[in-house]
Amino acid sequence: MPKLTIDQREVEVPPGATVLDAARQLGIDIPTLCFLEGYQASTSCLVCMVKIRNGAGGRLAPSCGTPAADGMVVESETEELFQIRRTALELLLSDHVGDCLAPCHFACPAHMDVPNMLRQISAEDLAAAIVTIKRDIALPAVLGRICPKPCEKGCRRSAADGAVAVCQLKRFAADADLASDEPYLPPYAPPTGIRVAIVGAGPTGLSAAYYLAQKGHACVVFDDQPQPGGRLRHEASEAELPREVLDAEIASLVRVGFEVRCGTRVGSTFPFAQLLKEFDAVLVACGAMVRDQAHGWGLPVGPRGLHVNKETFETGVRGVFAAGNAIRGKALAVRSVADGKEVAAAIDQFLSGQTINGPAKPFSSRIGRVYAEEMPQFLTCSSSLPREEPPSGEQPGYQLPQAIQQADRCLHCDCRALESCKLRRYAALYGADPARYPGQRHPFRQIVARSHVIYEPGKCINCGLCIQIAAAAGEPLGLSFVGRGFDVRVGVPFDRTMDEALSKVAAEVVAACPTAALEVRGKGEVGMRTAE
Amino acid sequence: MSQFQSDFVDQTVARLGRRPETVIPILQAIQTHYRYLPREALERVCELTEITPAAIAGVSTFYTQFRHRPVGRHLISVCHGTACHVKGAELIQDAFEHHLRIPKGDDTDRDGEFTVQKVACLGCCTLAPVIQIDAVTYGHLTYSMVPEVLDDFRHQHWDGNGAARGRAKGKRNPLAVEIRVGLGSCCVAQGSGKVHQTIERTLEEIGGDATVKRVGCVGMCHQTPLVELVIPGRDSTSLYAKVDAERARAIVLDHVKPRGIARRLGYTMNRWLDRLVADEEDTLARHAIDVRDAPVCAFLGRQKRLATEFCGQFDPTDLGEYRRHDGFKALERAITAMTPEQLVEEVKTAGLRGRGGAGFPTGMKWEKVRQARDEKKYIICNGDEGDPGAFMDRMLLESFPYRVIEGMAIAARAVGAEEGYFYIRAEYPLAVERIQEALEQCRQQGLLGDGVCGSGFRLQLAVKEGAGAFICGEETALLASLQGERGMPRLRPPYPAESGLWGQPTLINNVETYALVPWIVRHGGEAFAALGTEKSKGTKVFALAGKIRRGGLIEVPMGVTIRQIVEEIGGGAPAGHRFKAVQVGGPSGGCIPARLSDTPVDYEALVGVGAIMGSGGMVVLDDSDCMVDIARYFLRFTQDQSCGKCTFCRVGTRRMLDILDRICTGQGKSQDLEELEELARSVSAASLCGLGKTAPNPVLSTLRYFHDEYQAHLKGRCPAGRCKDLIAYRINEKCIGCTLCAQNCPTDAIPLTPYKRHTIEAAKCTRCDTCRLVCPAGAVVVE
Repeated sequence: MPKLTIDQREVEVPPGATVLDAARQLGIDIPTLCFLEGYQASTSCLVCMVKIRNGAGGRLAPSCGTPAADGMVVESETEELFQIRRTALELLLSDHVGDCLAPCHFACPAHMDVPNMLRQISAEDLAAAIVTIKRDIALPAVLGRICPKPCEKGCRRSAADGAVAVCQLKRFAADADLASDEPYLPPYAPPTGIRVAIVGAGPTGLSAAYYLAQKGHACVVFDDQPQPGGRLRHEASEAELPREVLDAEIASLVRVGFEVRCGTRVGSTFPFAQLLKEFDAVLVACGAMVRDQAHGWGLPVGPRGLHVNKETFETGVRGVFAAGNAIRGKALAVRSVADGKEVAAAIDQFLSGQTINGPAKPFSSRIGRVYAEEMPQFLTCSSSLPREEPPSGEQPGYQLPQAIQQADRCLHCDCRALESCKLRRYAALYGADPARYPGQRHPFRQIVARSHVIYEPGKCINCGLCIQIAAAAGEPLGLSFVGRGFDVRVGVPFDRTMDEALSKVAAEVVAACPTAALEVRGKGEVGMRTAE
Repeated sequence: MSQFQSDFVDQTVARLGRRPETVIPILQAIQTHYRYLPREALERVCELTEITPAAIAGVSTFYTQFRHRPVGRHLISVCHGTACHVKGAELIQDAFEHHLRIPKGDDTDRDGEFTVQKVACLGCCTLAPVIQIDAVTYGHLTYSMVPEVLDDFRHQHWDGNGAARGRAKGKRNPLAVEIRVGLGSCCVAQGSGKVHQTIERTLEEIGGDATVKRVGCVGMCHQTPLVELVIPGRDSTSLYAKVDAERARAIVLDHVKPRGIARRLGYTMNRWLDRLVADEEDTLARHAIDVRDAPVCAFLGRQKRLATEFCGQFDPTDLGEYRRHDGFKALERAITAMTPEQLVEEVKTAGLRGRGGAGFPTGMKWEKVRQARDEKKYIICNGDEGDPGAFMDRMLLESFPYRVIEGMAIAARAVGAEEGYFYIRAEYPLAVERIQEALEQCRQQGLLGDGVCGSGFRLQLAVKEGAGAFICGEETALLASLQGERGMPRLRPPYPAESGLWGQPTLINNVETYALVPWIVRHGGEAFAALGTEKSKGTKVFALAGKIRRGGLIEVPMGVTIRQIVEEIGGGAPAGHRFKAVQVGGPSGGCIPARLSDTPVDYEALVGVGAIMGSGGMVVLDDSDCMVDIARYFLRFTQDQSCGKCTFCRVGTRRMLDILDRICTGQGKSQDLEELEELARSVSAASLCGLGKTAPNPVLSTLRYFHDEYQAHLKGRCPAGRCKDLIAYRINEKCIGCTLCAQNCPTDAIPLTPYKRHTIEAAKCTRCDTCRLVCPAGAVVVE
């Protein structure tokens, strides 16, 4: 039995074992993409690099395919290896023609999961859609009416035949929720006994209260006006935003359990110093009005409003946070709603004694600029119907059939394997920068022709597992590598379809694919139209 | 699909077999027949054989030889080898595409007459830039010669290399003049086939009594076609350089007397020759060269011929002649007088190291295979010489097929292999043909087969042709290719010596390595080890090309310096230019600057200066060559030839190329150089096989020695005036208004203004350099 040393730890492995097996035996986590237990190591992705110290200077070797030999001295966790693994990931990402998260996700200030909401609407699962929406946007029925729709400007389809009507569809889902017998109530944690004061019942304050309350914190929202809503109530006209919608949505929010004290002016009726005493944290979210008060409250002022740490919303006074127009002066309502969510997370971290690390920035590969020739490929998995605005008049807004049709227009720019993708997982873990190596990329393609397996060659990392699995299963047609060098990709012989190639092992192959190169058509996705 | 006639496919399968490993030969046969691979034919192959659709799709798209679209009636292959690149291959490619009006993104003209394709290297580096139309080669081209070439091709009734393949048969008359015509690929490309034909025809016409003998490569490629006359009774021979058909006729008429007066020949010849060599007025004399001439002396002086012994003296496929020159004596000795262990020892004593590039000790490799206990072992000759700028192996296979076979047979005896293959790249049809012919001769003479040289030793050798993949020079990729797979390397260990072809222990050596073995066995390992340096023994064959006066194939003892090779043997840079660097080792090697040219030819010394011995391509660069462009050229080559398996090579070399492209087009940023170097080091450290590991060498060595040129590019300037995006053509006041430039400009970028100074419209100018070349007044300048 060969005995070897990995990171100064000795391990004995059965004959025939690889360095990777030995490392795993020791509980050392070596990242792998192209390797799958039970199949021949293809040693192609090279993210499982280790250093074999034997011999002058040592040499790098992929652990998955290197036989463990007696007396071998292996390094697995050094700065050099971290760098080389990260470089391997960055090189793969430099030619990864796919977005982890859709462009609309980044365009939306609240980073709402738009494609998921659209697929849920498509699947007539409005209950799921409102959950998706409310995870990031507390006031969707309101924003569905007044938002200037930055998400739609970011929509990839806007470059073709008009953006998907994201905002109207969000409104549709939110209206349906409000009209239901039991509007959505998010789950909330048991009371923590912690008290948070929120100054201002505008979009920021209400959103923050909504998310903090879900964490079990007791929130009191103070506002000098007789009714909550802040600028939502006086900036938008009745035609734009009927007040009954505003009232209904606020009422729905409050159900999660927070107090709104209207007609209470912090500063005069309720001294700021007292807030600091009575509450564990204070959020200043009273919009532009804050300028007159800031000095008296001892808060620093910048050119646009209160001066805060941009990542953590901290004002400098311990336990006092500020967000929304109180720090921005004049921003979109959706920005304020987003701020409410983000500051709630910051305050929660503060209250639970964690480091405040600001809004999470999920790892995402980005295609970036799309060429006009690529657009038909993007359109492949969506409905070809044009954008239609909802009727106005008696019953404004979409009705279900039209909403489904419009939601079907989504291109599903987000990744079908967002959670299962190994490339994304390790890229995040190794802090890989997908933009490190700019350069020519392959064109975007998704091959769906007459097939329920969708193949995106741009996401393929050439691990060859699908080829091996198909061959091992004796698929009559099977798959092979096609081409050579930078352009090599997996292909179906004689231009036949994926379903023909994978007549027996489609599910196994899709499960084995380390990225989303091979995926099954998702729930709510439509379009069997071929772009070939 | 119903109209598809499968007869041909059926017959091919019947002839070549149904096993999975026959896929490459079957595809080659189909392509030869249909000129591309019709899908119906491939589907039929899958029906008839054990070859799976996945295998056929994978293999047929891996090798560049295979085409999936119909091609024009004639195929123009533009060589993009190193020597051709530095002499303007890009421009030649542009010229054909422009002249044939080939639509952008396409490769075939509208009439379907010509298809233009890029090829990695035709191995005719001394004739650069070179193109091939079907089997006809044209060398020393310029942009403006392209229409002529096409006309020439259209108007000639070319019969391929047929002429070159005609054989002089019949009995030798000891008193007759022997006329030797070099028929290596370079010579043929330069028209030696026609010369040979003319000589034969003239002799027939006059009934002359002379032996016409085709000989292998003479090595003096800068002088081709060469005709050598051996006149009985004279010590030295007469050598005629750059002979064309007309001169060939004159040579025959002058030297050979009609039959019947052969008795007087010796005397007459002497007289004639004296006059010829002495008489400057005579047209022939200008082309006659003598080995005593200073330049010839210098070219030959430093050389020491072991692998290329008797170079240019005998008919490559004449087994009798090879045997008269000690041929197969080494094999006989290896079988009758030496044990396999002694053979291994002898090669170890010689200190022979692999001539394919990496320089692994050959004796150790043999020993490893020898010690493997498996019953079945294989022996392989790696003839997949793919480095652009290298053509030594081609020349050895073409000119010394028996020597390579003999070396291989000795090796087989030493390691205990009874079956083996020559893996020869598809671009070397003449080498394939000669080896096949030589193998057949050997079988007939009992030198191969069941009882080699009458002993109990058995050896079967066969030829397998590559299909256009540089990576197949890597031994594990070569094995995959032999097994009918995509030529993808695999991780070593296990090494082929333990697990090679079909999982059996396999000895793989390069052509030149085998070619040296007979000499070692005949003269002893010590004699070989007496040549060379401490760690690099014996001799090395180099293909010397590029910006040099005397290019060709040379064999020198190890330890000779780069300077001696470039300046003494090669005669230095062409007039008016300064020797700047020499690129050694092709895409895996590096550029050695002129100031380091006292570096000896030695495995370790070359690595020390950032190059490698490689297979022996040596391309000389002068002051008109841009080093950034050279780095980019090689990277483009390796990038193009990467099998695409591992991340670092597939994507890493591409990203390096992207950076170089930015630098060469004036879009480089200051941090690019650092990023480039860092990435180069990662690719080098982490790539799976030798191709990727060495691909960054040309970049790293130019970054090391020519950093200032990179810096200049970042500032938007190409000091050598090569990078198209950074230069402009201008006509200065020296212009005499002759209109030649305007007439020759392929893009009409120069308005015709007789007697006035001409101007160039920058927007239309493609920087093809034609105007500068045609200008009689030197008025066209590059800025």
